[in-house]
Amino acid sequence: MKDIIRLIVKYQFTLFFILLEIICFSLVVRNNDYQRAIFSQQSSVFAGEVAKATSEVRNYFRLRSINEGLARENTALKNRLEAYASRTDTLVADSAATYTYYQARVINATYNRTKNYLTLNRGERDGLRKEMAVCAPEGVAGLVQDVSERFAIVIPLINTSSIISAKIKQNDYYGPLQWDGDDYRYSYLNDIPYHVQVNAGDTIVTSNYSSIFPEGLMIGVVESVDKKDANFLRIKVRLAVDFRRLTYVYVIDNNTLEEQQQLEEQNRHE
Amino acid sequence: MNSSQYYYVHLLIIGLIQIVILNNVHLGSYFYINIYMLALYILPHKVKGIPLLLIGFGTGILMDMASHTAGIHAAASTLVAYTRPYFLRGITEGAEEYGQDGHRMLEAGWFFRYSLLSTFLFHLVLVLMEAFSFRDIGISLLRIVSSTFISEVFVMLYYFIGLKRLTK
Repeated sequence: MKDIIRLIVKYQFTLFFILLEIICFSLVVRNNDYQRAIFSQQSSVFAGEVAKATSEVRNYFRLRSINEGLARENTALKNRLEAYASRTDTLVADSAATYTYYQARVINATYNRTKNYLTLNRGERDGLRKEMAVCAPEGVAGLVQDVSERFAIVIPLINTSSIISAKIKQNDYYGPLQWDGDDYRYSYLNDIPYHVQVNAGDTIVTSNYSSIFPEGLMIGVVESVDKKDANFLRIKVRLAVDFRRLTYVYVIDNNTLEEQQQLEEQNRHE
Repeated sequence: MNSSQYYYVHLLIIGLIQIVILNNVHLGSYFYINIYMLALYILPHKVKGIPLLLIGFGTGILMDMASHTAGIHAAASTLVAYTRPYFLRGITEGAEEYGQDGHRMLEAGWFFRYSLLSTFLFHLVLVLMEAFSFRDIGISLLRIVSSTFISEVFVMLYYFIGLKRLTK
């Protein structure tokens, strides 16, 4: 405090000069129409620029909440779409929605091991259960392996123990999709018969034989076809989901899964 | 008469010349004739610090009142007052040998240099405050230079007619 006062006393001449000039300036701006017009014009331009800059910065920090809001809205829309789709399915008398969507965020992920896992910020209390499908906006991401109260562990496609049923969209031939543990961008579709015509660029989607995934969800596109094996093709698939950038996902609950499995189980015993 | 009485006489004369005569002389928009800064130039040397600034400010405000330009003249003449101690110290080498008597410092050579610089700064602020933008900076510069020139002529005229003779 003492230093500040000493500083003020030392530079009182200059400080007082600045004060007087500020007074002059305000007098000019307040009492002369021409200068006031220019001043208010310039200051409103300046204020506008400042407001623009600050709102840009603020928007950046709001991106996360905006994303969450959009993901939530998407979930709601997907659920409504599902309800609508089941209503138009005239073959089924009881028109309850087959699939329910939950929105979640990936809070932890690995991509450089052979057994990779994702952790979601949703758990049992949010309605998640084991063996639900997990999708990113781009396509299939994986399968819920385990849930706790508030978190869920997901086996992504890039885990060597993940095997899901996939088909070539063009001709409906299906086979298991399994990762080889090498590059997180590619997986392999096996057991496609030798005679099937597959071209690079063909779309690979989930098959209708999977009781977990809705049919026709995007998995990826054919990168190359290997015909080394005598009877089956080995198709290299470029995955639609980039597992290094995965943030928002949907967890898909098949409402009829339990009933279907129960029925299948009963008939197997007999 | 002692030096401060001389000063008041000059002040009165300068003020009258400025307000009654020069403010009514219009040489187009490029020439402003201002000599009232002389009131600051010929201040006794012992006036410094905040009183000096206040005198500069007050002189400007008076001129603003006379010419209905609130703040413009005050801004310019406050700057003249502010720069005065630095000019006295910087431009006039060995100023101390002239002693404390302000009037003995009115030697033609350095008075010209000091008044020219101050007059230039004065018109720099005056013209820019009046234009209040850098859009037509060329025209503004022309006005600054021409106003400085014509005002300095009148300042030196007053110096040779009024000050030099009186102080001898």
